[in-house]
Amino acid sequence: MVGFVILAALLLAGGVGVVTLRQPVHAALALVGTLLALAVTYVTLDAHFLAAVQVIVYAGAIMVLFLFVIMLLNVGGERTADRLKWLKPAAWGSAAVTAVGLATVYFLQRQPLPGASVIDGALGGGGADRIGEVLFTDYLLAFQLVGVLLLTGVVAAVSLVQRAAPETRPQRERTSRVAPHGPDTEAGATPHLVGALGAGAAPSTGVASGAGATQGAAAAGDELAHGDH
Amino acid sequence: MVGTEYYVAISAVLFAIGAVGVLTRRSAIMLFLSVELMLNAANLAMVAFARSWSASGATTALNGQAAVFIVLAVAAAEVAVGLGILVAIFRNRVSTNVDELSEVRA
Repeated sequence: MVGFVILAALLLAGGVGVVTLRQPVHAALALVGTLLALAVTYVTLDAHFLAAVQVIVYAGAIMVLFLFVIMLLNVGGERTADRLKWLKPAAWGSAAVTAVGLATVYFLQRQPLPGASVIDGALGGGGADRIGEVLFTDYLLAFQLVGVLLLTGVVAAVSLVQRAAPETRPQRERTSRVAPHGPDTEAGATPHLVGALGAGAAPSTGVASGAGATQGAAAAGDELAHGDH
Repeated sequence: MVGTEYYVAISAVLFAIGAVGVLTRRSAIMLFLSVELMLNAANLAMVAFARSWSASGATTALNGQAAVFIVLAVAAAEVAVGLGILVAIFRNRVSTNVDELSEVRA
């Protein structure tokens, strides 16, 4: 019980940190702490394989991706919300009511745990072999679909983020491809991604980005515009 | 052994905190972080339920843990696509504030 109290304190502190810390990097690191505490909690729940996967996939891969994007975009702390003043206390209040309500409902209909030997026999420490059996029998379709989903995610992420190399394509060809989308998108202007996707050519006057970003965005928009035709 | 109800309580609190983050933060990255917190809260509840269902056999109990595995993979795909969209938006708008991204609204 002492261990559980420590873990619960870590989880709650991390969770509150994620929501309240102003700097995104600090919030992401608080989430890393939460996820690691969660992995230890999985160990106490006889799910050793999931604990390892939690550390490798979540605390490793996903959070590294988050930190990478935060540092790449150089996102600073956001200013305090002032558009809807009542939103923050209302959110905290409704969250408290929801959490207390859910916990109370489950405390009222709690059931005794099966014995330790029963748990160990059924879960077997939650090893990869036992979970693999279930995954490849009952959950086979879901497992395959998750594979397709991951492949889709990889392709989508690459196609969203890629910038076509400017020197691979002649300049004249690019202007001729971008031009039909509107009179204001001549060579070197920045067509909106939305505009290139077919919502019409949005005026690119509000976009003030550097020359390098302009070139890349133009190339990316060119790519999309070409796929559109 | 600590009872399942304590784990479910922690899970409910974490989920509520994540929901507060989604409601109050305005940077898209912070919204993603809060959604991750909510996903993990749901995972914790499923792992706890898997242990409490042990009495009805291995297959039934391990369904919970298998579901957590699939949720993990879905979260990874979601983060990859979501952050890709975020980078694409940032490249055009130089902002990740979701209040300013209201073009879809008529």
